[in-house]
Amino acid sequence: MQESEISLISEELPLRANLSVLENVAIVPQYRLNMAYDQAADQAWSLLVELNRTECAFKRDPDLTSEERFIAKLLRAVIRSPSIIIIDRPALLLPDTHYPPFVEATLAALDDKLNECWIVDYTWNEPLYAPR
Amino acid sequence: MPDMDPIIDALTRRGAAQLAWLRGWRSFGRFAAVAIIEALTPATYNSATRSVVQKQIYFTAWQILPTFTLFSAVLSFVLIQIVVDAARNYGFAQHALEASVRILVLEILPLLTALFVGLRSGAAINTEVALMVVHNEMKALADSGVDPMRFEFIPRVIGGVISVLALTAVASALALVLAYIAVYGFQIWSLTDFNRVMGNIFDIPAIALLWAKVLAFGLAVTVIPISEGLAAPPAKLFFVPISVLRGMVRLFFVLMLVEVISLVLKYI
Repeated sequence: MQESEISLISEELPLRANLSVLENVAIVPQYRLNMAYDQAADQAWSLLVELNRTECAFKRDPDLTSEERFIAKLLRAVIRSPSIIIIDRPALLLPDTHYPPFVEATLAALDDKLNECWIVDYTWNEPLYAPR
Repeated sequence: MPDMDPIIDALTRRGAAQLAWLRGWRSFGRFAAVAIIEALTPATYNSATRSVVQKQIYFTAWQILPTFTLFSAVLSFVLIQIVVDAARNYGFAQHALEASVRILVLEILPLLTALFVGLRSGAAINTEVALMVVHNEMKALADSGVDPMRFEFIPRVIGGVISVLALTAVASALALVLAYIAVYGFQIWSLTDFNRVMGNIFDIPAIALLWAKVLAFGLAVTVIPISEGLAAPPAKLFFVPISVLRGMVRLFFVLMLVEVISLVLKYI
């Protein structure tokens, strides 16, 4: 599988610090598809609307809560429509959140936009997730 | 031979420092070559990169235009007055205009503009790129399918070059007007004389050399800070000030080197 078909959401892959959340998400279609900024920003905005997170659209990374930062990173991956999105150790991304239900609800809200999503976590956190 | 150990250690450290210095120049040369090739490649330009170019021109040239124009006008006026008065005192009044334009437009203003942009935008670019490397933002961009070289760096080089060219043009045009006023006063009847002197100064080789010099300045004020920022080691925040310090010193030497080469080509 090509690396471009996979998007990684990780604590080690930060948002671009001098761009707002909206710009961080919009830059992907703007660059990859040569889309006009307004059109790309509309696409990014509609994703934020789906998650009811428009209040963070114009914030930059240092002003974001960990949940907002997670959402921004997730949408940056989702807008690219990769085959697989990997969420790397969500506890690092969402330190103050009971993250399994939060991640599950967020992914459910974006269900029609996701192909496949894998969560990579430590085995000792397995009891936190609903049984499959 | 235990007595030799301190000497060997000192030589090793010195050699390592020299190699690091040479590696810095090599990465600068490599990045400059890539930047020039990418800037001339149409595929580099898309909606995202054009936005970055526009932002770079806004922050580097447009935002500082009033301050820079005022500063260059005051400096030009003072220097023109000094040259014109000195020329009159020594009986070379007929050469006052030519001398002041040669000093200002061909030499001082392009260098001053490059220094101004280098100190203001070059230092900021150096810091930002070093922080991008330290915080792993480049890898994050690449993972999103955005090439950091084409999205972040090449547009800054293009924007920086355009800004230096534009600011030099503004400062030079203003200096020409001030030189005319200083020599001929507030009247338009001496435009023919003025044009004849300008024709003598700005022949094809002089214009070509001026263009080449300003382009080299424009490249230097962006390429050096970016390549120095890229040399910062990941996850080592303490290295950012060192990166900026090295970038600014290297930039100063390169600007002076370009100026000296242009003087040699012109006058020797």
